[in-house]
Amino acid sequence: MLDLEALKNEALNAVANADSKTLEDLRIEYLSKKGKIQSLMAQMRDLPAEEKPKFGQMVNDLKNAVSAAMDAKKAELEEVLMNAKLLSEKVDITLDAYTPKQGTLHPLTLVQKEIEDVFIGMGYNVAEGPELESDLYNFTKANTPEGHPARDMQDTFYVDPTHLLRSQTTAIQMRVLEAQANDLPIKVICPGKVYRRDDDDATHSHQFTQCEGLVIGKNITVADLKGTLELMIREMFSKDAKIRFRPSYFPFTEPSFEVDMTCHICHGKGCPTCKGTGWIEILGSGMVHPNVLEMAGIDSKVYTGFAFGVGIERVAMLKYGITDIRDLYTNDVRFLDGFKR
Amino acid sequence: MKLSLNWLSDFIDLKGLDTNAIVDQMVKCGFEVEAIDKMSEGTNLVVGKVIECKDHPNSDHLHVTKTDIGSEVLDIVCGAPNCREGLKVIVAKVGAKLPGGEIKAGVIRGEASNGMLCSLKELGISDDLLPEDSPSHSGIEELDDRFEVGDTDILKKLGYDDTILDVSIYANRPDCLSMYAMAKEMGAILDREVRLPDFEGKADIGEESDFILKSESANCPHFLAKVVNHVTIKESPEWMKAHLRANGVKCINNLVDISNYVMLETGQPLHFYDLRSNPAKEITVRDDYEGVYTALDGIDYQIEKGDLMITSEGKPIGIAGIMGGDNTKILDDTTGLIIEAALFDHAQIRRTSNRLGLQTEAAARFAKGLEPMAQNKAVDRAVELLIELADASGFEKTVEYGKADYEPYQISETLSHLNALIGKEYTMDEAVSVMKRLGFECKVEGETFITTIPSHRASDLKIREDIDEEIVRLTDFDDLTSTLPLMPQTVGKLSNIQNIRRVIRDLLTKHGLYDTVNYTLVNEKYIEESLLPSGDAVAMISPLSDARKYIRTSLMNSLLEALSYNLDHYNSDLGLFEISKIYTSKGEEERLGIVMEGDLIQDKVKHLSLKTDFYVVKGLLRQILSTLGFEMGRVSIKENDLDTKHFHPYQSAVLMMDGKILGIFGKLHPAYLKTLKLNDVYYAELMLDVLAQATPSKVKAPVISKYPSVSRDISLMVKEEVKAADLLACIRKVGGHIVKKAEVFDVYQGEHIEKGYKSVSLSIVYEDNEKTLKTEDVNAIHGKIVEELKSRFEAIQR
Repeated sequence: MLDLEALKNEALNAVANADSKTLEDLRIEYLSKKGKIQSLMAQMRDLPAEEKPKFGQMVNDLKNAVSAAMDAKKAELEEVLMNAKLLSEKVDITLDAYTPKQGTLHPLTLVQKEIEDVFIGMGYNVAEGPELESDLYNFTKANTPEGHPARDMQDTFYVDPTHLLRSQTTAIQMRVLEAQANDLPIKVICPGKVYRRDDDDATHSHQFTQCEGLVIGKNITVADLKGTLELMIREMFSKDAKIRFRPSYFPFTEPSFEVDMTCHICHGKGCPTCKGTGWIEILGSGMVHPNVLEMAGIDSKVYTGFAFGVGIERVAMLKYGITDIRDLYTNDVRFLDGFKR
Repeated sequence: MKLSLNWLSDFIDLKGLDTNAIVDQMVKCGFEVEAIDKMSEGTNLVVGKVIECKDHPNSDHLHVTKTDIGSEVLDIVCGAPNCREGLKVIVAKVGAKLPGGEIKAGVIRGEASNGMLCSLKELGISDDLLPEDSPSHSGIEELDDRFEVGDTDILKKLGYDDTILDVSIYANRPDCLSMYAMAKEMGAILDREVRLPDFEGKADIGEESDFILKSESANCPHFLAKVVNHVTIKESPEWMKAHLRANGVKCINNLVDISNYVMLETGQPLHFYDLRSNPAKEITVRDDYEGVYTALDGIDYQIEKGDLMITSEGKPIGIAGIMGGDNTKILDDTTGLIIEAALFDHAQIRRTSNRLGLQTEAAARFAKGLEPMAQNKAVDRAVELLIELADASGFEKTVEYGKADYEPYQISETLSHLNALIGKEYTMDEAVSVMKRLGFECKVEGETFITTIPSHRASDLKIREDIDEEIVRLTDFDDLTSTLPLMPQTVGKLSNIQNIRRVIRDLLTKHGLYDTVNYTLVNEKYIEESLLPSGDAVAMISPLSDARKYIRTSLMNSLLEALSYNLDHYNSDLGLFEISKIYTSKGEEERLGIVMEGDLIQDKVKHLSLKTDFYVVKGLLRQILSTLGFEMGRVSIKENDLDTKHFHPYQSAVLMMDGKILGIFGKLHPAYLKTLKLNDVYYAELMLDVLAQATPSKVKAPVISKYPSVSRDISLMVKEEVKAADLLACIRKVGGHIVKKAEVFDVYQGEHIEKGYKSVSLSIVYEDNEKTLKTEDVNAIHGKIVEELKSRFEAIQR
């Protein structure tokens, strides 16, 4: 019996002091078929029959204890090894050694996309039209007859006496009205490039981008226009934005309104961006002029509608703090890099 | 439109309204005020008299004065050359706030100075408001006898106490270019009574006239002329000069001033001819004159057919509606005149004025349109003023060509229509009171209100919605509730091409390329170097400049310009792209342009880089197509036989889809790049319309074989012109459906390979969906493939 206890102590002691190499040797020394513990079974033959089970049990317990100690030691040694290995693999987490290149959407694309998504969510479609337009859609059908100052050669790029680079996305609206005169209601936005004979400077560009909107249906009101624009402004600028209408004039709407929003920088308190007024002029709008509806073949006694137009450059400049419109057409990647999203 | 508040207060009592309150109300009612110009600024000003003026002991130009301001005598140092004893001057006392700052007591080079003697310029009065002979141009202002020492209302007495609002007038309100109409408008806006002078019929005087007046142009339907045989030229009274100055009009003499003044008042441009210059007593309006004509500004203008000209005895005497002639103008010794008040076609006046580059107040008013009764009103007023200010007499009866006609008409609107359109609950009282404020007659019948439109609003107010706008405009509108349209549900979604654009933009930006927007209008060089133009370039009739003359016919040069700009600004390893419409004589197309140079992938720490080359561009294009849902089987690559002027002939290709040309890509030609000072640039341009018209391949779930696959490699030596695609096609054809995958995994030329040859290594994966392939089956097929490759391509197995 003492033999067993001594052997156990000897084995556990050896295991405790083993390293990963000697541990395997110890396993053979103590636990293999010819190992020190198994060899004890030979003594069983000399024992009385009634003691044999008890002895067997004790040898088994010894074997289990030593085996468990070895497993534990092994795990311990492996952990030490693993820790050492991990430590040797330590990286400098502050170093950047792979920056996947990321291009950007152009700010004008970004703003247009944002507007599109707001309106698509409200059930609008996105209509387009030719940039090289006839004066019929650009002017005449928009209630701007021949002789109107807006039709001046001074302001518009004509390519022949009746064709021009469209000066307003209103031309798209006029095409939609005509195409859908018998397929009402209409709910569209019309984004696109437009062109005017302006010399380029910090706030003028001979090419710019508009997005107009058009809704035609029964019982459409100015209040509906206000609600729709308020929603757009809140999505685009800030949730607490308010808008106000100022009477204005566009040939294709009656009544017409300029729309101001509360300044998104100071939230209406007054700051340099809004010149201290708390308000920023953001778009033009109005109720579609009955002449425009009639010219498109829509009964203006039954149907009414609203239209609005916003300058994408203007929104981009306000939203992103761009001070020179030409930056939007230079395509300097140092500028474009700012629009990663 | 310049709106002088002093002048406005002749017609409306502005008591209790400060400038900001007036402006706020105007803005609410639809008049944008671009600027508020105070003619002058200055507090603590008093009239003083220089009672002693000595040279400053320590300066070669300063004076030391004793200036009496009534209550005390001040020591003031003054630098003006005209400072002298006995002069009556404007004194800014200590504490005075001037545009340049506050006046403080001080010592100037050892001499005490307690105030400042002022030039009008120091009070903020601009040069153009000063008379030409004003001492203030080069010194201090010299006051005349109207001023007493101690007076403080100097600016008012000088007529410089005005505030001018620069009001922008919308195209529908040309009437507001007249002071009288503007006063009516302001009365409505401010809800105050308006008192306008009544001069109707003042011109109905005079002897019979034998003056002959004709128009030979439909663009002059109405003309009034009146001969005034005796007038006296003198200076205009101060009140008139002040109003003219406030409007930026130069004061000349009473006659010229009256014609300008009446135009400002009534909106009708008037012209006065010296009676002596028209001995024939005849005026004919013509539009068939051609030649050079000298206007009263002394400049020669080239007149063309269509331009309206005032002629007498067949010779021009003025450019109608724009500027009078040098040969007929009012002179210093004029003693009689002819009044002209005519109606000229607005579009024609605008055309002529724009072409001649001659923008006058008169032309601007004609171009925007006059009210129907304007000519008659203006002549009435001119006669009244000529009598009052120029001792006019010897009038002849007004001669008239055509007729001014205005029959007031009515517009009916119902309260229910108004409220249905606006989405608000106006009462009849509110609606009617707006009409009354505007000075319109308005009567109510049940829920209908009927408004009579006066002549000055006839061009703008035509339908009931116009009336609604007036009501909205002149009532508080900030309380309008916000609603959303109540209408049948619609599905909003992007169109096919709109989706394609988004997919491409997302994909390319994820690869590190930048979305750009370039100008549509380009120079001739861009057109000459266009890439696959589908037709001729379209040019502007009147371009802004040669640089912006044509609509671009491809995107390549815009992107190369953007690339050059970036390379010049220390940006490198670039990928830029643009999606845009282009135009030619054949119509509109949409294209995608991609330009790349340098490394697509790069990491310096890791010494990692992927240099852009032909294959990188090809890979991106393939990914675009597969992301858009087009199977690679529909896509093919052809030798570039479309444009080898701009592309490297052996590193470029034409991309085809469904048998149609989809685009062109590859390395740009070094010779072309050299002209742009560029190197190693890769470019692709795709016709997006081809993609938009193609139907994406159906999505079908792949069948995954339950049976194992077998992989075999082949290494071949083939002539270098043998194409990878042909080898792979041969493998697929011979191998049939059990070839699951075949690809090139190595291409080698160089050492150990004979010149003109290359080594190509291919890997083939065999797999059957129905059964496990037996080695001998695979060997048999693989052997057949190898044999076929050897014989077809004269390949040697390595």
